[in-house]
Amino acid sequence: MGGIGIDRSRLLLLIVFLGVALGGYALIDLQILAAGNLTSMAVFAVEVGILALGQTFVICGGDGGVDLSVGAIAALSQVLLGLVLKDRLPWELGVLAALCAGAVMGLANGLAYAVLRIPSIIVTLATMFAFYGLALVFTGGINIDLTASPPSFLAIGQGSVIGLPFQVLLIYLPVFLACAYLQLFTAFGRGLYLTGTNDLAARLAGIGVNRIRCLTFVIAGVLAALAGVVSAARLGTARPDASETGNLLSIAIVVLGGADIFGGDGSVVGSVLATMVIAVVDYGLSYNNFNPIYQAGVIGVILITSVMAQNLVRFRARQRS
Amino acid sequence: MMSGARGRTRQASKPIPGQAALGRFIASREGVLLVTLLVLGVAIDLGSHGALWYRANVTSFLVDFAITAIPATGMTIVILTGGIDVSTGSMLGLIAALGGKLLAAGWGLAVAVPAFLLLGALFGLVNAIIIIEGAVPPIVATLGTLSIYRMLVFIVLGSAWLTDIPPVLTKIFVTTRLGPLPVATLLALAVMAGFAIFLRFFRAGRHIYALGNNEEAARLAGLDVLRIKRASYVLIGIFTGLAALLNLGESPLVQTSTGSGFVLTVIAAVVLGGTELSGGRGTILGTLFGTLIVQLVQDGVVLLHIQPFWSGVLLGLIILVSVGLSHAWHRPAEAA
Repeated sequence: MGGIGIDRSRLLLLIVFLGVALGGYALIDLQILAAGNLTSMAVFAVEVGILALGQTFVICGGDGGVDLSVGAIAALSQVLLGLVLKDRLPWELGVLAALCAGAVMGLANGLAYAVLRIPSIIVTLATMFAFYGLALVFTGGINIDLTASPPSFLAIGQGSVIGLPFQVLLIYLPVFLACAYLQLFTAFGRGLYLTGTNDLAARLAGIGVNRIRCLTFVIAGVLAALAGVVSAARLGTARPDASETGNLLSIAIVVLGGADIFGGDGSVVGSVLATMVIAVVDYGLSYNNFNPIYQAGVIGVILITSVMAQNLVRFRARQRS
Repeated sequence: MMSGARGRTRQASKPIPGQAALGRFIASREGVLLVTLLVLGVAIDLGSHGALWYRANVTSFLVDFAITAIPATGMTIVILTGGIDVSTGSMLGLIAALGGKLLAAGWGLAVAVPAFLLLGALFGLVNAIIIIEGAVPPIVATLGTLSIYRMLVFIVLGSAWLTDIPPVLTKIFVTTRLGPLPVATLLALAVMAGFAIFLRFFRAGRHIYALGNNEEAARLAGLDVLRIKRASYVLIGIFTGLAALLNLGESPLVQTSTGSGFVLTVIAAVVLGGTELSGGRGTILGTLFGTLIVQLVQDGVVLLHIQPFWSGVLLGLIILVSVGLSHAWHRPAEAA
């Protein structure tokens, strides 16, 4: 572990990926490095990037921890926000409601894991069905149009501050810094790392293993809701089926960022770099008029090869499968 | 530990002396599921005023059941070994697209049916190679192939839907019946019965439990652990090919989204059936009940004129309650 919680080979790998992707596209068309294109990439990265930050903590916590419901939480929170806005209540209230709902959903995941002792992959598989289902029930399956919302709300997803997109500068950056702080400088972050590496040892050291893991789900829930708010503001609509790819994509990003799916080895910085790689690859594909579905395939290839590369670098084959 | 390879592994519940076999069954995981199933069935029967038993509904229920049950049998085995395969839905879409093209091009069933199964075996083998040779954790590896297979579906189909699939599959698997059951359903039941017997009574079947319970011990006992794993991923691939075939029988149409979301239903059925994701525990009988419950919930919501959106909510709740209850029941001492 280096000073920023990511090992050096992974850091190098991600930077190489990023350089190769950007360089490759630049060879095709230098225009991709223009400011406008770079900010478009950043805008895309924000929503899935926020999901991935929450997912990082859950996966770090170990015990096979993974949250399959983050996309569903984003969707249901977004729908609640949409309902508040539709009733012409203040938009701040809607955002607050969405974030609280995200916290409650995350807490439900955490409690089902910690109290009922159901493996988190099952818990969140079940709640993913349930949250998407509720989002459909609340909307009747119809998108809520938010284009007539107050401009101050839409600015969250469409505005810009000193030439940068609002959500990049005033949402993603602070959230990233807060997450990095949480991971590197707090008792929670150290406890989380210990818990993910060896939960028996952590327990014997007096760390509230279950409380920490429960908290990771709450964090993931709040961040997912935040991602839902940003995407609602950007698109001017609240969709009950929002972020459907986000559930798995966020996991892919965290693993690409160097996390061990079995816990311990994840880092906020790694996840952010991995988000950038994904954003560049995706944007470059659509910029060069490839069907967006190639993005999914390329991400799959990157995911698998990065883990294999890591195995090679570490020179030890893990046969834990 | 060693005897686990040959002898019996842990049962779903401990035998209680002095109780009849029936009592033991009802207290077991499978028993709880059966009771749940009956309660659901009766509730839907009463609520729908008998619409549950309309012929069209019964047929679609039974065929839907088969399409989920066959991959769920493979998934049970993969999970028993301690692995998982989340690529099943994309794989089903890809096999349906490739095989559908064959059928649409006029190839007969003698070519198409083996092609579906071989494609499944091939894609399953790809998963196995990444997991075993590449030492990539199964969930990561299949998460990757999930995206890759889905991309290939788009490449195969272009932007068009594949609609000119001959109705012969529907005729064979859905409309032809032996007794009350469509051929698709009989096929599913046969697969399940075969693998239930294999897992319980065959040496190789016991080896799967041994591997899932303790991989290191299984290796030391001389089992070819990697071969068992490889076989389990190839098997779920073949079953996915079979499900793709039945799927085209049910609706002769392939679109780019065919099969997306399917894997979650399959995993839900397996988990609901009591198979534990940590490996080594679970039965095909449980998966049978799990699949029936999942399908009954989806069917019941329609029949009871509940907004169909509730089916996801109900399914989620049923998984949580059922798994939560069984954990509370069987492992109270482990709480710490």
